[in-house]
Amino acid sequence: MDVGRPKGFDEEAAVAAAAELFARRSYDGTSVDDLVAQTGVHRGSLYKSFGSKRGLYLAALRHYVDRELGRAGDLQFLLLAAAERAAVDEEVASEVARAIELLDRAAGSEEATTLALGNKIRELGGGRGDS
Amino acid sequence: MATVEIEGGDLVVRVEGMDKLWALKSSLTIPLANVRGATNDPGMVSEPKGVRTAGTYVPGVVVAGSFRRDGERVFWDVRDPAKAVVIELADEQYARLVVQVDDPRATVELVEQAAGTRKD
Repeated sequence: MDVGRPKGFDEEAAVAAAAELFARRSYDGTSVDDLVAQTGVHRGSLYKSFGSKRGLYLAALRHYVDRELGRAGDLQFLLLAAAERAAVDEEVASEVARAIELLDRAAGSEEATTLALGNKIRELGGGRGDS
Repeated sequence: MATVEIEGGDLVVRVEGMDKLWALKSSLTIPLANVRGATNDPGMVSEPKGVRTAGTYVPGVVVAGSFRRDGERVFWDVRDPAKAVVIELADEQYARLVVQVDDPRATVELVEQAAGTRKD
């Protein structure tokens, strides 16, 4: 997909580590310093492989939708991406839409996805407002 | 300090004021096809710079000019690390540009959009 990609590190492991960080700290809350520390990959190699923090974020989001969403069912990265980035980044919006379609298909109905996302938001609020 | 603009199919980086002297360069024009992305990265300034091939380096004050490290050339024009934007290039003389801009968020958005539209 991209040019000039060095093969000196395990790119998939780096993307998975970045996904874990973005899912916890959001896009704006994650610095390149954080990404360098978390992935163990040199700054220059990160830039060369992904072009920018946004490039790495998109790779991390795709990895999460493809590999983790169905399996672990943790919806936090999806919720964060939808709330923080989908309105300002078309590529994030299309990944969010793809994730929701995958969830709909896996659950067999849109209602099940809506319920799961709603429950996740309640859970993030510590279960409060659940009167 | 530099300005970053899109002009036609190019990204144009202009070095402002006295930094032109320190950097020994006043502007860079890069075809958008060779621009891969941009990131506001205050931590970039703490990276080892490598060997200065042209320009000025006063640690903690100014990094301006061309540096070579690990076989890559990087162009720097930064005084305030918080406003440093890293612009990643492909197939250019420089592997990346690290420039200080007035509004890093706006510059990052501008470059990311311009770099994204040429992809397919």
